[in-house]
Amino acid sequence: MPREIEFRDALREAMSECMREDNRIFLMGEEVAEYNGAYKVSRGMLDEFGPRRIIDTPISENGFAGLGIGAAMMGLRPIIEFMSWSFSLVAADQILNNAPKMLYMSGGQFGCPIVFRGNNGAGGQLGSTHSWCVEALYANVPGLKLAIPYDPYEAKGLLRTAILDDNPVFFLESERLLSIKGDVPEGPYEIPFGKAKIRREGSDCTIVSFGRPLYFCLEAAEALAKDGIECEVIDGRTIRPLDMETIVKSVRKTNYCVVVDQSWPFASISAEIAARVHQECFDDLDNAVARVNADDVPAPYAYNLEQEMLPNARKITEAVRAVTYNA
Amino acid sequence: MPIDITMPRLSDTMERGTILKWNVKEGDAVSAGDVIADIETDKATMEMSAYDDGTIAKILVGEGESVNIGTAIAVLAEEGEDPKSVSGGGKAKGENTAKKQDAESGESGSRVAAAVSEKKDDEADTARDSSTDKAPASRGHERGENGRLRISPVARRLADDNDIDIRAIQGSGPGGRVIKRDVMQAIEAGDETARAVPPAAKRRTESAGETMPVQAKRVDLSQPIVLAGKGDDEPRPLESRTIQLSNMRQTIAKRLVESKTSIPHYQVSYTFNMDPILALRGTLNKQLEPQGIKLSVNDFLVRACALAMHRHHEFNASWKGDSIQIHGEVNIGIAISLPAERGGGLLVATIRNADHKSLRIISAESKHLAEKARTKGLSIEEMSDSTFTISNLGMFGVEHFTAIINPPNSAILAVGAAIQKPVVRDGQLAVGHEMAATLSCDHRLIDGAMAAEYLQTLKQLIENPATLLV
Amino acid sequence: MTTTAPVVKKNLALELPTDSLRKWLRDMLLIREFEVRCMQAYQDRKIGGFCHVYIGQEAVAVGCTAAVEHQDPIITAYRDHGHALARGMDPKYAMAEMYGKIGGCAKGKGGSMHMFDKANNMFGGHGIVGAQIPLGTGLAFATKYEDEVMNGGENSRVTLCFFGDGAINQGAFHEAFNLAALLNLPIIFICENNGYSMGTAISRGTAMGHDITVKAKAYGMDSAVIDGMDVLSVYNGMKPIVDRVRETSKPVFVDIRTYRFKGHSMSDPRKYRTREEEQQYESEDPIDKLALVLKDERRLGDEEYDEMVRDVRQQVRDAMKWADESPAPPIEELYTDVYTHAWGPYLGTSLPEMLRKSSGDDAS
Repeated sequence: MPREIEFRDALREAMSECMREDNRIFLMGEEVAEYNGAYKVSRGMLDEFGPRRIIDTPISENGFAGLGIGAAMMGLRPIIEFMSWSFSLVAADQILNNAPKMLYMSGGQFGCPIVFRGNNGAGGQLGSTHSWCVEALYANVPGLKLAIPYDPYEAKGLLRTAILDDNPVFFLESERLLSIKGDVPEGPYEIPFGKAKIRREGSDCTIVSFGRPLYFCLEAAEALAKDGIECEVIDGRTIRPLDMETIVKSVRKTNYCVVVDQSWPFASISAEIAARVHQECFDDLDNAVARVNADDVPAPYAYNLEQEMLPNARKITEAVRAVTYNA
Repeated sequence: MPIDITMPRLSDTMERGTILKWNVKEGDAVSAGDVIADIETDKATMEMSAYDDGTIAKILVGEGESVNIGTAIAVLAEEGEDPKSVSGGGKAKGENTAKKQDAESGESGSRVAAAVSEKKDDEADTARDSSTDKAPASRGHERGENGRLRISPVARRLADDNDIDIRAIQGSGPGGRVIKRDVMQAIEAGDETARAVPPAAKRRTESAGETMPVQAKRVDLSQPIVLAGKGDDEPRPLESRTIQLSNMRQTIAKRLVESKTSIPHYQVSYTFNMDPILALRGTLNKQLEPQGIKLSVNDFLVRACALAMHRHHEFNASWKGDSIQIHGEVNIGIAISLPAERGGGLLVATIRNADHKSLRIISAESKHLAEKARTKGLSIEEMSDSTFTISNLGMFGVEHFTAIINPPNSAILAVGAAIQKPVVRDGQLAVGHEMAATLSCDHRLIDGAMAAEYLQTLKQLIENPATLLV
Repeated sequence: MTTTAPVVKKNLALELPTDSLRKWLRDMLLIREFEVRCMQAYQDRKIGGFCHVYIGQEAVAVGCTAAVEHQDPIITAYRDHGHALARGMDPKYAMAEMYGKIGGCAKGKGGSMHMFDKANNMFGGHGIVGAQIPLGTGLAFATKYEDEVMNGGENSRVTLCFFGDGAINQGAFHEAFNLAALLNLPIIFICENNGYSMGTAISRGTAMGHDITVKAKAYGMDSAVIDGMDVLSVYNGMKPIVDRVRETSKPVFVDIRTYRFKGHSMSDPRKYRTREEEQQYESEDPIDKLALVLKDERRLGDEEYDEMVRDVRQQVRDAMKWADESPAPPIEELYTDVYTHAWGPYLGTSLPEMLRKSSGDDAS
């Protein structure tokens, strides 16, 4: 039965349902237990699963990320929460050098079924150190998977898929979305990785994005529709694996493509997708692929500057107009 | 304060520069970094970029004109200035401009000569009358003219699929790029002018002539003649349509009318026994094959015509109205037709000092020039200063034709195919190769007997081709 | 408990059956011979990349693994050939890995620094200094979790986490120590203290380098200092600690003093230490020491020892031949083992021959 719940509740349901089914799964991170989660994602889980499975850690990302990877090598299935993906940078050696490469370096002997999850992205006036969008950095590494949920329904289905996956999954949530509500079925369901979802159909321009910027894409699409420009908005869902098939199919139809990406433009997800659209849809393009990224500057604190830095509906609207020769 | 754009120093030894082409016209907005003109220096053709943002208020030096370094060639109005109120240059012109000698123009019309005067005037008018947002369309055609057509990939595909001639479409995208919308409009409008020319008309031609059996080109009359729309698709009826003139086409029209109406042409034809030259060519090509060299009949003709000049100076001369200019160099022009994809048309490439060059070098140069003309286009230097021109339609199986003199040449040789036919040799009927060539001469310099003598010399050289090797 | 070096009342090792002691000797000889041949093969360009040999430190790996059960996980750093062999990996798989061949323990994809052996609970050599310490902590977390949370019993396993003295200055060391102490994890952190982190003497790189057990004190962790140049001493020191950790499920830190006879890697000219120092340690060769004890106690004859040396030499020679003859990994291996299942360009995963053929056979 679907009912309306918050994004954070959907995440918790996915974790709790999996933990009830499989006692190899445990949740570890800063403030996940007694504090009930810094963002209340794990609220109540300590009560249900107890301190052996809902484990508070010190502020020691490199340590507990590595601990989780070691436990995964032994066959457990840890969920490691980063309060913010910004803090994962101090655990970079563990999450990039060990988790994604263990299977390969050991010649297939030791896998690493682990989920790292937490808040990703700017938008809360937290200044530069706390506003990381890590997808461009981390998606570069083979051996890991990377998912970005869009709404509560996606959050629950994708997180379950992540937890059941035998490979390391980086699960990038957005603090700005945790309180939004949406219809979510009771009981477990999975959303497969590598299958994009078309959030809005349109024939005039393809917009590809992931996670929170999709809201701006849809807002822009509504505005553009008033002028007769119908955008097709694609929620990529996962960056590794990336569903190029859906993107290519859409671009073949629309002949225009805008990629919206909240990370910096240089060597970013949008750069990757643009390159691949140019390769795979060259003869279908009526204009070069346009990219809307965060500005190429550290995230500022001031509200107006931060809003200007991030992708927003105005920038997306302008990009669509320009790329479809409607500027 | 308006900014003078001056002739830049683009090479260490450059003293003067020639404006080959303006990429902007008066009234155009430019940004720092935009390529505004192509400049020919003593060494190369270079792009000239703007250093400031603004609007082109005046163009002071037209295409084809050359000026010293530092001379103002255009005036840029800065933001807030009214381009129309900017008077003729921030300062007086540094010097009188010198129109580049006409030497490089010809039957084919070089893209430089590309109608220097007409174009300038036309565009000046356009600029005065229209706002800058019309610029992309006209720029699109400039692009098309030098062969570099801007079109998006999907627009190209759509045009191909629907047999739309993209050159007839006004591009509405940036820089005149033809975009999907433009092609769709052309399709929807049933724009007949945009229907592609049948492939037969797109056929490339070779300048370096090969002998070719006539029958290979002969139409099989037992089959119905159809003009295929695209490859072997179903036939399409001939349709009425209008094709806008490219600048090259305009130039060709103007120059050839000028030539044909102002020069007293007359023609003299001759038939050459081609067996010796074909035999020699066969032997040489077999020997040269490992080096990747293949001589054409035309290479022999270039060499022969050039050598003949040493006995017949008037054929290497120009009519100057009150004098005759005998040239010190023998530069043989070869007419090259351009492929339809590059806008079609003709140009004349110059083999300089052909009388001092071996067959091997002539062959390499003409191949290089033909290839470059069809792909990247030729530089001014590669098209200028010819003193005599050869036009060869032999590869089409043409037996005989006449050509119009390429000013300021005094003659042009029109060459047909070397054709296998019954011939009388030493009183015996035999099978041999013969080639007809027709010389068009300017009667102001060259009298009929002189033409006959030149052809005799040519015949000697061609029928005793060993002399061409030394 | 506060930091204490356990006082060994009696020589536990000598109470063991002679076969066990002979096996230690043979294992040390095997490691020594393997490493010597690695140096040779490296110079013959059969081995690429880095090559860090364990010569001089053999007593540490052999004594420590002797003190634990086969089910106890071990994990170490990049100087890992000795641990893999001590744990029971057939030298042919180790050598084939060195040679970058498909027959290697990681199908030629890990190399010298990444020796893994799942059947023998060897969780790898790890290339980044100190990075394996949190991993080892996770192994201990997992054994305890499995035993207590999943199976509702008592913790039964002890993890041995080896690292060099260079690693104690890494953040990972301190974070792992803190976590292990907080979570009461059954792990023994073993610093193989050979006095040099690459070319930097411990006194130049580590505050309190003369007594690194103070690092454990900060985390309330028991610790011990053990002579690593004598396998009997290693066993005698480690065995009571292993027993205690198994019982209490609390971490212990061990500073095992040893010496690396050769350079840090094959390209190390060893200009940072004196020849006299090297000679002093070479006179304490752990292999000679054990052989002497066994001969003194008449538990090993001269001829038996010579036979053992010959046997080991032949085994390593056979391993080299086997490695030589093992094919290079097929190109498909490039895209194998990136993910556990096939998708996009990836081909899923497959086990190395070592596990397919001899799973469990090498159990010591």
